[in-house]
Amino acid sequence: MTSFFQLLLGGIGMGCIYCLVAIEYTLIWNASGLVNFAHDKFIMLGAYIFAGTLVLKLNLPIILAVPIALFLMAIFGSVAAMGIFNPLSRLNSNIYAVMGTIMLAKILGEATRLIWGPAPFNLPSFVKGAYKLGEVSVSKVYLLIMIATIAILLIIEFMFKKTKVGIAMRCVAEDKTAASLMGVNVNKNITFTVALSGMICCVVGILIIPVFNVSLGMSTMIGLKGFAAGIVGGFGSIPGAIVGGLLIGIVESLYSGVGPTVYRDVVAFVLLIGFLLVKPKGILNSKASK
Amino acid sequence: MLEINNVDIFYGKAQALTNVSVCVGEKEIVSVIGANGAGKTTLMKSIMGLVHPTAGSITFKGENITKLAAHDVVKQGIIYVPEGRRIFPSLTVYENLFMGTYSKKYSKKEIEDKIEEQYEFFPKLKERMDQLGGSLSGGEQQMLAIARGLMADPKLLMLDEPSLGLAPIIVEDIFKIILDINSKKNIPIMLVEQNAYMALESSSRAYVLELGIVKQQGDASVLIEDDDIKKAYLGG
Repeated sequence: MTSFFQLLLGGIGMGCIYCLVAIEYTLIWNASGLVNFAHDKFIMLGAYIFAGTLVLKLNLPIILAVPIALFLMAIFGSVAAMGIFNPLSRLNSNIYAVMGTIMLAKILGEATRLIWGPAPFNLPSFVKGAYKLGEVSVSKVYLLIMIATIAILLIIEFMFKKTKVGIAMRCVAEDKTAASLMGVNVNKNITFTVALSGMICCVVGILIIPVFNVSLGMSTMIGLKGFAAGIVGGFGSIPGAIVGGLLIGIVESLYSGVGPTVYRDVVAFVLLIGFLLVKPKGILNSKASK
Repeated sequence: MLEINNVDIFYGKAQALTNVSVCVGEKEIVSVIGANGAGKTTLMKSIMGLVHPTAGSITFKGENITKLAAHDVVKQGIIYVPEGRRIFPSLTVYENLFMGTYSKKYSKKEIEDKIEEQYEFFPKLKERMDQLGGSLSGGEQQMLAIARGLMADPKLLMLDEPSLGLAPIIVEDIFKIILDINSKKNIPIMLVEQNAYMALESSSRAYVLELGIVKQQGDASVLIEDDDIKKAYLGG
């Protein structure tokens, strides 16, 4: 029983990360109709800026490095939106935008290698250790991940329901022409959304440093699994992203209690293919497949 | 107040409007009638900056708005209630109305007052305030779309096919509302309609569009008696 709870807890922890990844690209998809294939590189970039430059090079305290990293990633997101998402989404085929974001991913990967070097590194004293809860040990990083995820979900919920820019984001996702007739500058709104997405990527990047270290491939797997989470939950839906993320995290973790661990990463993709075959709309009906 | 001068619009190589000139004065209700594909909606879209003319100019209160984007035209005070209502289906009635004030910098209190004002004008909407826009009936959606337009205190309200797809009794309600908006709130209205009879009945002046060209124009009371128009648009 103890090991069950242990696995469940770990599953929820990773599940939260998949949630955030699914939300981060769902926001952009809803706003612009584009899938950001560079999203895992956004996550990696956030981690490199935070750990590589702000903490290790400039020796800033964590408490200062986090907001600065978020700010820089928001600016990076805005520039990416103005340079890539907005112009490419206006072209008459989505394939240009798909190629655009894939190329962006390549450029970011190579640029990161040039700036910070190919060797992985770690932040030695960044959220290490665990609390004991009876027999179950709760690692501090999973606890932090859960708290951060809940905080981000609450902020997003508040924004979408109560703020002018958030309600306008929902309108842009629903009907761009009608939104512009309300006076919404749709391009600006999309730029804001991509900036927000960049900030969530940055949070994910920082949170997974203790789990995966900082490396060029640190976010590839969670990027794919977060993508799977969105489809399993219902593509284009924020609640779907949450449900799908948690489901994949928990199933994957529980699996490692019964099956060979080498196949652990396969679980998410088996789930993904299963859902695509049997229930392509996902657990909560997706808007995309309408 | 609104002046459209010799406007040409192309979609690719197809010309949708040719040398169209239309004006709307203070306090007027002006309607544009014509068959499907005559260019009525294109005319509205060109005013809103959703399509841009290749020739001609559009001015509003003396300012040239020909090249403005839609969200900037809205800031000038021109509100367009598009064909098919285009309310936001997953937003509540209240949120839809709230979005109507996006272009304005109203305080919370002012927004609440404005919404209350719409509820007085459209009592049905008050009953439905927490329902999703998509769950309303066609007539209610049209009222919501008009109410949402009124939230921004328009200096000119443009209505595109407000009667489309509605039951005759609801159509009468809608036209009553249109007349009320004009007379009680002193808002000039530009109306595009396939229901030519209702449109001519309610407006002071009218334009007849045919294949992108202004075929006839004049006082609505004169046009409604015109034999050609009777034959083409009023069923005899």
